[in-house]
Amino acid sequence: MKISSLTGRGNYFEDFVVGKVMRHARGKTVGETENVLITNLVMNTAQGHFNEHAMKDTSFGQRLSYGGVNFSLALGLASQDTTENALAELGLDKIRLRAPVFHGDTIYAYSEVLEVKPSDREDAGEVRFRHWGVNQDDKVVFEGERRALIKRRSHWADK
Amino acid sequence: MAEDFMARAELVPKGRLYEDFEVGQVFTHHWGRTINHGDNSLFTTLTLNYNPLYFNREYALAHGHPDVQVNPLLVFNTVFGLTVEDLSEMGGPFVGVDELTYHLPVYPGDTLTARSLTMDKRESASRPGVGLVTWHTEGFNQRDERVIDYRRTNIVRLRSANVSL
Repeated sequence: MKISSLTGRGNYFEDFVVGKVMRHARGKTVGETENVLITNLVMNTAQGHFNEHAMKDTSFGQRLSYGGVNFSLALGLASQDTTENALAELGLDKIRLRAPVFHGDTIYAYSEVLEVKPSDREDAGEVRFRHWGVNQDDKVVFEGERRALIKRRSHWADK
Repeated sequence: MAEDFMARAELVPKGRLYEDFEVGQVFTHHWGRTINHGDNSLFTTLTLNYNPLYFNREYALAHGHPDVQVNPLLVFNTVFGLTVEDLSEMGGPFVGVDELTYHLPVYPGDTLTARSLTMDKRESASRPGVGLVTWHTEGFNQRDERVIDYRRTNIVRLRSANVSL
C-alpha cells in the first residue's frame, strides 16, 4: 500500500498560505441520524436534543441539534481540504456556537489559514485555521479555530 | 384523570441550576465510556471526517499507531457527554469552548473518564434570569493519563428566576 496515494496532493503543509479562504464543496443536512444518534452515542443526557415532546412548549418548539454535533460536522466538512494529511490534530480554541441548528437545517463549511509555522518535527508543520459553519440561509452557526500538525510534501509525497 | 401510580410518583430530578455552582467545586463525572471501533467509524463517517488515521487501520499502522486513532472530536464529545448531567443538563445553550488541547492519542478499547472544575460564574447583564458558567474539564484514559482538556461556557438558568430558555 502506497500511503501517499490514499490522500490528496494539494493539502500538504507547503500548500497552506496565510490568508487563503476556502469554501468547502459539500454540505450536510442535519437530521436524527446526526443529532440524535451522536448525542446518544456520546451519552449527552440533555433531552432537549432527543425529546421532541418536551421541546414542544419551549420557545424553540422542537429538538435542538447538539452544538458538539454542529461543529464536529462543520469541521468534518472542512476536513478533506484542511486536515486530510494531518499527522495529528493539536487543539481547538475560540469555539462559538452562534445560532441554533434544527433538524432539516443544512450546514456548509468555510476555512481560513491564520498561521503556518515549523514544528519540532522536520517532516511536518503546524497550521492554524479558522473555520465557520453556515446554514442554508448563510447564517453563521459556528466559528472557531483548530490547530493541526500537517505533513510536508517534501517528506511524505513519495511514501 | 391520572392513573394512581402517576399521582403517587415524585419526579427524580436531574441536573443543576445556576445557584448550585460555586467557583472551585470539582466534579468527578459518572459512568466513563469505553470507545470501540464502531463508535469511532460511525462518528467519523457521519461527520464526513476524511483523515484516514481515523478509519484506515493500515494507514494508521504506517504512521506508527497501534490501531486506528479515535477521532479527536469523538474524544471531545464523549468527555463532554459524560459531564452533561453534572454541568448543563438543566441549563441553557452551550456557548463555546476555549483552549482545548489534545494531549495524547486515544485508541479503540481505551476507556475515558471526565472531571471538571467550576472556574467562573456570573449573571447575565443582558438577559435577566440566566447566568454564564465556565468550567475546566479534563478527560483521562484508563491509565489516568490526561488525553484532553478544555474550558467550556454555558448559559445556565437561575432557580430563582423561573425563566424558560
